[in-house]
Amino acid sequence: MKAKKWVSYGIFCLLIPAVVAGGALLFEEKQYAWVSLCAAVLACVPFFLHFERKTGSTQTLILVAAMVALSVVGRILFTPLPGFKPVTALVVITGMYFGGEAGFMTGALSAVISNFWFGQGPWTPFQMVSWGLIGFIAGLLASPLRRSSILLAVYGLFSGALFSLLMDTWTVLWQDGYFNLSRYWGYVLSSLPWMAVYALSNVIFLLLFTPLVGKVLERIKTKYGLQGRR
Amino acid sequence: MKAFANYHPAVLLLYFLSVLLVGMFITNPVIQLTMLLGAVLFCIMCTPSGRSAGGIAFYVSMFLLVAVTNPLFSHNGVTPLFYLNGNPVTLEAFVYGAAIAVMVVGVMLWCRCYSAVMTSDKFLYLFGRAIPKLALVLSMALRFIPMFKRQLHKVSRAQKAMGLYSSKSLVDKFRSALRVFLAMISWSLENAIDTSASMKARGYGLPGRTRFSLFRFRAADGVLAAVSVLLLGLTLVGTAAGATAFDYYPRISELPLTPFAVAVYAAFGVLSFLPFIIEIREAFVWKYYISKM
Repeated sequence: MKAKKWVSYGIFCLLIPAVVAGGALLFEEKQYAWVSLCAAVLACVPFFLHFERKTGSTQTLILVAAMVALSVVGRILFTPLPGFKPVTALVVITGMYFGGEAGFMTGALSAVISNFWFGQGPWTPFQMVSWGLIGFIAGLLASPLRRSSILLAVYGLFSGALFSLLMDTWTVLWQDGYFNLSRYWGYVLSSLPWMAVYALSNVIFLLLFTPLVGKVLERIKTKYGLQGRR
Repeated sequence: MKAFANYHPAVLLLYFLSVLLVGMFITNPVIQLTMLLGAVLFCIMCTPSGRSAGGIAFYVSMFLLVAVTNPLFSHNGVTPLFYLNGNPVTLEAFVYGAAIAVMVVGVMLWCRCYSAVMTSDKFLYLFGRAIPKLALVLSMALRFIPMFKRQLHKVSRAQKAMGLYSSKSLVDKFRSALRVFLAMISWSLENAIDTSASMKARGYGLPGRTRFSLFRFRAADGVLAAVSVLLLGLTLVGTAAGATAFDYYPRISELPLTPFAVAVYAAFGVLSFLPFIIEIREAFVWKYYISKM
């Protein structure tokens, strides 16, 4: 089992450089868009594989599914308020209370599933990675985030900015085929209001939800005897 | 939109991936315009008439946004048209902007067609075998969404009957909404745990499970797959051989019109019009049978 795991990680470590080399050889133009798209897809693979292999309980699976569904319903509910979405907050909360891996899965799957409503596209893998990473980092920082609401607010701001900056990177790579710095700054500047809305809504939802959702989750954990990993 | 969507999900995925691969990464203008035209025809077939007006406005504005902003950010090219703040605004950047806009809008439209044809059940069918746990999570989440929406409605009606939402104050409204959403979270998570206990009791995860599938691979699916692969292969061979090479920077190059290049254009043209051709053929067959009755 251990050997198999290392082999799969080894193959994985070779895959990304292979994609980079292949992209450089095959495509003269647009190679960065192609390479970054493949890298984004591949970056999700180890998380998915680990989730798939782990002999985890059915309960964790279903809880992740429920959190994904909640964040998708939230994203649909708040459609009239552009940018003002509880998705990031729910992903962060999942990461905080059920571990980074569950956070990654919730973020990545929320992106895929909500895009069945909002439209799939080449941006889907980037949304998956962005939201997934936000959830994963929340899992790593779980104990300080749970202790201090100031840190939680800061993390909300950070994750809003991270999401916006990562998506701008993709837009620039896709439209120019290379990293056009001046266009990047143009997009970052024009999306500053959006970034502010994302960040602000994250902070509001996180500060409002976390104490209450945390209480609910802790109660469920005790009631049903779950072992959420810290 | 029945005939094309009825093909096997694996073949449909192969088809969409081949069109998107060519469309996203080959910058030849003939190929790009063919892709856009194919997407437009496909979308017209997908969307019921009368519902597309808002969509058209969105895609046209998207097109203009991308096309016009490119010369402002990119100062490559050797033919300056005029100077803006000391920076040259070049003809090449304008043309490249238009080409990129064709690509962006074309790929968005193809993705829209993908969403219309590859429904979530087909997606799950394709990936359920390779990644059973993930597929389970995906299908449960998809099933939870309508259920949660119904429950949300129920909770808010119950709260209304108890006198909530009666105040006109915005803060009160927000607090009631929050209360409903939290009740939802609590309910949905407990429901999820009950579901998992029930699944465990019924033997989920035990070895020897069989699978039910709605889709069969027919001869026609094989034909469509073979045709797609053949046309994609021809297009990629042409690109690798440089037959369709086209540069926007530093100077717009001449459009390649050698017989080989024309063959590549034709191959990709047939590829991107395939759904349209299939639908038209189906319509003719239908008319023919009707006329024989």
